Amino acid sequence: MKTIYLMTLFLLGNSLAVHAQTNSRTEAFAQLPDWRGVWIAEGFEPGISGFAETLGTPDAKPHPLVDPQAPWSEEGRKGLAAMFGNQAARKAAGWGFPMMMKGPAPLQFLITPEETLIVNIYQEVRHIYTDGRAHPPEEDRWVTTWGDSIGRWEGDTLVIDTISVREPVRFFQMSPPLSDRAHYVERLRMTAPDYIEGELTIEDAVSLTKPWVVKTAYRRTPNMDRLVQDTFDNDRSEVEDGAFTIAPAAP
Amino acid sequence: MCRPALLLASAFLSIAQAASAHHSPAMFNMAARTELKGVVREFQWTNPHSYIQLLVKDSAGTEVEWSLEMAAPSYLYNNGWRPSTVKPGQAITVTISPLNSGENGGLVWDVTTADGRKLGGGKP
Repeated sequence: MKTIYLMTLFLLGNSLAVHAQTNSRTEAFAQLPDWRGVWIAEGFEPGISGFAETLGTPDAKPHPLVDPQAPWSEEGRKGLAAMFGNQAARKAAGWGFPMMMKGPAPLQFLITPEETLIVNIYQEVRHIYTDGRAHPPEEDRWVTTWGDSIGRWEGDTLVIDTISVREPVRFFQMSPPLSDRAHYVERLRMTAPDYIEGELTIEDAVSLTKPWVVKTAYRRTPNMDRLVQDTFDNDRSEVEDGAFTIAPAAP
Repeated sequence: MCRPALLLASAFLSIAQAASAHHSPAMFNMAARTELKGVVREFQWTNPHSYIQLLVKDSAGTEVEWSLEMAAPSYLYNNGWRPSTVKPGQAITVTISPLNSGENGGLVWDVTTADGRKLGGGKP
């Protein structure tokens, strides 16, 4: 009889603990902003060509992340010149970081109390841990195309801290010539129902002379209700005489 | 490279806003716009780029095939395009930036159907 009584108490206690935990997580979810939908970086809404119509005209602007007016160091300027002079070097299966946050590829924000995922149409995924953990110690981490990100919510602003990003130009040639030692801090906040804005601050003792702040903003597109991802099953861009061209179609 | 030269390189090569993720635009003469009239052989709704294979009569009246590059399907979809928007056998007029190489290819800016309906750039 005493055993049954103790078992009942145990089960009841366990059930209450699980219930309390569930309530606590439900409450945590309720406090998070709702950023559902498909978003495209402002100023990059792609037309049917995939390129800006001003390209090749006097109105053409360099991509903000390769802006020659950024506070490049001598090393950074050399890297930028090499990047501009190397137009046929690499095709990329995506954008990498930080370019994926400042380009036309539609993306989604999936927000949970413990982690926010940022996913784009090229299957690129950023894991931003918001459960209070720190970056792994240096001996436990290595550089990757998307780096290691941790985050925190300051009210309704998501603050993302990213390190250990492999030199972006090594993944995607048309990227800023930042080093593996660059430190990136993003601040993102929904300021209107379909509008998220913020800024990206980059510090890099190798390629920059001072912190570089780049404005960011995203608009929720009414034209897409999901991300459709696919492999590159028809890659017809090929290098010929040092420049890309279009390979003939199959008959 | 000194700063003015770097700026010149920037202006000339223009790693542009809204650049495609896959390759540089340097393969196309982006300052030029050429109009092509032809009949669609195939519409490739594919990653990393979509293509219209257009049969165009040259100045001698010979039919030649052009490979016309477009953005990836998601970008086209966001602009109101669907896989069936352009069909084989359809007569269209396309505005392109031609390949610098002089080969029969280019980058599509807009597409107009035979009855004058503009497909490029519109929203659904």
